[in-house]
Amino acid sequence: MSLRVLNPNAEVLNKSAALHMNINAAKGLMDVLRTNLGPKGTIKMLVGGAGDIKLTKDGNTLLKEMQIQNPTAIMIARTAVAQDDISGDGTTSTVLFIGELMKQSERYIDEGMHPRVLVDGFEIAKRATLQFMEKFKTPVVMGNEPDKEILKMVARTTLRTKLYEALADQLTDIVVNAVLCIRKPEESIDLFMVETMHMRHKFDVDTRLVEGIVLDHGSRHPDMKRRAENCYILTSNVSLEYDKSEINAGFFYSNAEQREAMVAAERRQVDERVKKIIELKNKVCSGNENNFVVINQKGIDPPSLDLLARAGIVALRRAKRRNMERLVLACGGEAVNSVDDLTPDCLGWAGLVYEHILGEEKYTFVENVKNPYSCTILIKGPNDHTIAQIKDAVRDGLRAVKNTIEDESVVLGAGAFEIAARQHLLNEVKKTVQGRAQLGVEAFANALLVVPKTLAENSGLDTQDVIISLTGEHDQGNIVGLNQHTGEPIDPHMEGIFDNYSVKRQIINSGPVIASQLLLVDEVIRAGRNMRKPT
Amino acid sequence: MGFQMQPYGIQSMLKEGHKHLSGLDEAVIKNIDACKQLSAITRTSLGPNGMNKMVINHLDKLFVTNDAATIVNELEVQHPAARILVLASKAQQEEIGDGANLTISFSGELLQNAEELIRMGLHPSEIISGYTKGINKTVEILEELVEKGSENMDVRNKDQVISRMKAAVASKQFGQEDILCSLVADACIQVCPKNPANFNVDNVRVAKLLGGGLHNSTVVRGLVLKSDAVGSIKRVEKAKVAVFAGGVDTSATETKGTVLIHNAEQLENYSKTEEAKVEELIKAVADSGAKIIVSGAAVGEMALHFCERYKLMVLKISSKFELRRFCRTTGAVAMLKLSQPNPDDLGHVDSISVEEIGGVRVTVVKNEEGGNTVSTVVLRGSTDSILDDLERAVDDGVNTYKAMCRDSRIVPGAAATEIELAKRVKEFSYKETGLDQFAIAKFAESFEMVPRTLAENAGLNEMEIISSLYAGHASGNSKVGIDLEEGVCKDVSTLNVWDLYITKFFALKYAADAACTVLRVDQIIMAKPAGGPKRGDQPAGMDED
Repeated sequence: MSLRVLNPNAEVLNKSAALHMNINAAKGLMDVLRTNLGPKGTIKMLVGGAGDIKLTKDGNTLLKEMQIQNPTAIMIARTAVAQDDISGDGTTSTVLFIGELMKQSERYIDEGMHPRVLVDGFEIAKRATLQFMEKFKTPVVMGNEPDKEILKMVARTTLRTKLYEALADQLTDIVVNAVLCIRKPEESIDLFMVETMHMRHKFDVDTRLVEGIVLDHGSRHPDMKRRAENCYILTSNVSLEYDKSEINAGFFYSNAEQREAMVAAERRQVDERVKKIIELKNKVCSGNENNFVVINQKGIDPPSLDLLARAGIVALRRAKRRNMERLVLACGGEAVNSVDDLTPDCLGWAGLVYEHILGEEKYTFVENVKNPYSCTILIKGPNDHTIAQIKDAVRDGLRAVKNTIEDESVVLGAGAFEIAARQHLLNEVKKTVQGRAQLGVEAFANALLVVPKTLAENSGLDTQDVIISLTGEHDQGNIVGLNQHTGEPIDPHMEGIFDNYSVKRQIINSGPVIASQLLLVDEVIRAGRNMRKPT
Repeated sequence: MGFQMQPYGIQSMLKEGHKHLSGLDEAVIKNIDACKQLSAITRTSLGPNGMNKMVINHLDKLFVTNDAATIVNELEVQHPAARILVLASKAQQEEIGDGANLTISFSGELLQNAEELIRMGLHPSEIISGYTKGINKTVEILEELVEKGSENMDVRNKDQVISRMKAAVASKQFGQEDILCSLVADACIQVCPKNPANFNVDNVRVAKLLGGGLHNSTVVRGLVLKSDAVGSIKRVEKAKVAVFAGGVDTSATETKGTVLIHNAEQLENYSKTEEAKVEELIKAVADSGAKIIVSGAAVGEMALHFCERYKLMVLKISSKFELRRFCRTTGAVAMLKLSQPNPDDLGHVDSISVEEIGGVRVTVVKNEEGGNTVSTVVLRGSTDSILDDLERAVDDGVNTYKAMCRDSRIVPGAAATEIELAKRVKEFSYKETGLDQFAIAKFAESFEMVPRTLAENAGLNEMEIISSLYAGHASGNSKVGIDLEEGVCKDVSTLNVWDLYITKFFALKYAADAACTVLRVDQIIMAKPAGGPKRGDQPAGMDED
């Protein structure tokens, strides 16, 4: 072979061998993920190198943690993970769709069709499907007061595929309220403003939304209050500890008094700053019962803490930077970088600040804030893997709500869209296509069925029965989805099963692209290091 | 060349060394098996007649205990499914501090029964739904079983406290529960704050001193420090205390200082000023009325000299937390620098003395009056492992006290609750129509594990006991439990064996959760174990538990 002449160590796979390798890899990956899809999907247990346990139903997590090595599978997995980065959901569907496209194509290729023709068909079908989706989607008017019910339905649809039902329903309210809380008119939603904090404590159903901030550290002084009501919050980024000077300095003294004076001088600068804060506290808190809380991003050394504690101020040091931003959004006021011109305007307000101690860990809750633009989802669970599972689900749920608000439309779920699109492709589009590309359209249309098929399979239903009864309904002009419990057709609109428009769009867009690329490969060359060690 | 057609399936896609298990036989049944093995280990330790285990951990430390939390902690369970059970028991340990064994044993039993159901042909998802219904019903019934009038208790009444604590302590130290309970109850009641919900476990300390026996153990109102006083004054009574967190020595600057000396005279003067300075500081402390100086860091030689001269007792407590506790005991405020203390910052002790107990010099800080928030249980025992085990029993007792401060409701102990639950959940299962009724019935049967194990461990005939328990409950008395000493079934209100409702609640809930989690998994993907030094010769494989 010609390649061998160029590089004797290179390995090569041609023509059908290369194609089949790709198809097999795509199908293999699909097999791994297919049991994940839908609310009835099963859980996978991942055991990391250090023996750590992770339980997941989320395709994205699974792909990330699985350490895939097959090059084709990596390519598909990357697309799916990219899908997650963009829209936060639909990873499993993407992998399934790509796998199914490959599987459908295999049939035609084995019958001697050229991949190129199939790919042309895919392209036509893709465009037609996207157009169809524009018609099919259900518009949602967002305006100033978004329809909470619709948002809840979308969030519930997403969350139920990640967690068991009771917990998913509880989280639905939490994520919807969280997104609505941080939403500002005329601005895009920044999900970073929702802090997720976890506590290893109680049960997973104790997860709740805190309108305010939860910090994962406490005050460091034993005499500070553990619980304070009606608090002014000073968010600051001022060093309240003695910094050694940059240059190499030394003191010279010749008796103990001089040394004492120097010790005092050393601290004076820091003390001045602390005194300024105390002055402000006295100004705003005199004559009322209000409290004063300082949350500092930099350090506060013990002598300063002591001074603050004596003045009745609760001080927290070394807050995380991202929390500083959130604190200002939640409590109001502004973050100060210097104590020189402190005014009461810089202060935020919180109705309640308290510390919660859990074993060795300390948590500070800043709650009851006025019109917050930031909030915290406090995840609780008895052990780490439960928490991690909820955390992933919450993230996806938040994204789903955000997508809905931004898309201003949703797509009917439970397989309804896929079936409708297939019927549209077969009945309308196929006739308009000339020549062999028709077969590509057909393959694409059948590949769409993978979602309802897998849903049925995971619920223990008969796949063929389900597909026939669903397509039958669609042919009569009823748009129906699959009822996971009974296998009967249902109206997803009535049941409140909605998917994100952008997620579906992304799946339809990226799936055929990757599938086409893989189909058009006719030679795989691996030069250099042999990754599969000879066995 | 290994680059022809790639093998089909997931195995080819993963990095080398990965393990992939899926399906009922490979994943579910194996997981159940591992969990069963684990619960078989802990089960024999359940209850007052439970056997002790000798566990040697990776540091070659020996543990002789029947405390399940310690056993599973030191076992270093490798199997992922069994790990879920361990995590559940840890959650129980953190939440309540007791009942870890019940969590593991019960979830082990649930899984064992699940295996039978799977072999019968039930799908795990049906078992999960049945178990979920079972636990929800159980929680309902458990609420009904709560002893009337127990929701209000006086947490300062020793008898009431002991009656609730006894079962927990007895399961760790059977036969010694009366002595231990009284000690723990005393210690807890002393430090119970005005609002009992704020009770902090950390305020009851345990000091283990080798020698003597359990009957020599006492409760000290205050602290017992395992160190000697620094100076020569070993005993002070009714005195004020000044606490310095930063050490008792000459002050120093953060920046490096250099003493500038030009001639011999200055050198001499420098030492003198230094001395004068220290004396001035110590004198200031002495003048403020303090008789005792407690330092959080080093005590300078020169400072010590002046302390002796002013007849001040000097203590050194290097642990920051210990120092905080000391402050809490005495009501002192820790000052950072050696300076004249404000009168408010001084604490008070009734007596502070260095005593020799069992060859160890300890400093006993006593504070009989109010405002005291720390108490110490001084445990005596002949060997280290006995002391460790006693300490764990005391810890369980203290945790139980904390739990009862939060929720004082009690349910009948000695397996009476379990049998009643078994009976009523079983009745419930008959009303269900779906396939999950089998799962609910098995869930009910799993409760029998507790009386069976209790009887087994006590050497009684388990079948006889269980049937007479059922007979007792069928006749309408829901409080019939096992009297382990006589080997018969009796009304537990005559035995006075009560369990805390909250302990049972969390233990059962965590157990059911863990069992369902294990059942939900149908695929396991294991990464290659990370490198690093391997302990021993055993491979860190799946079959280890």
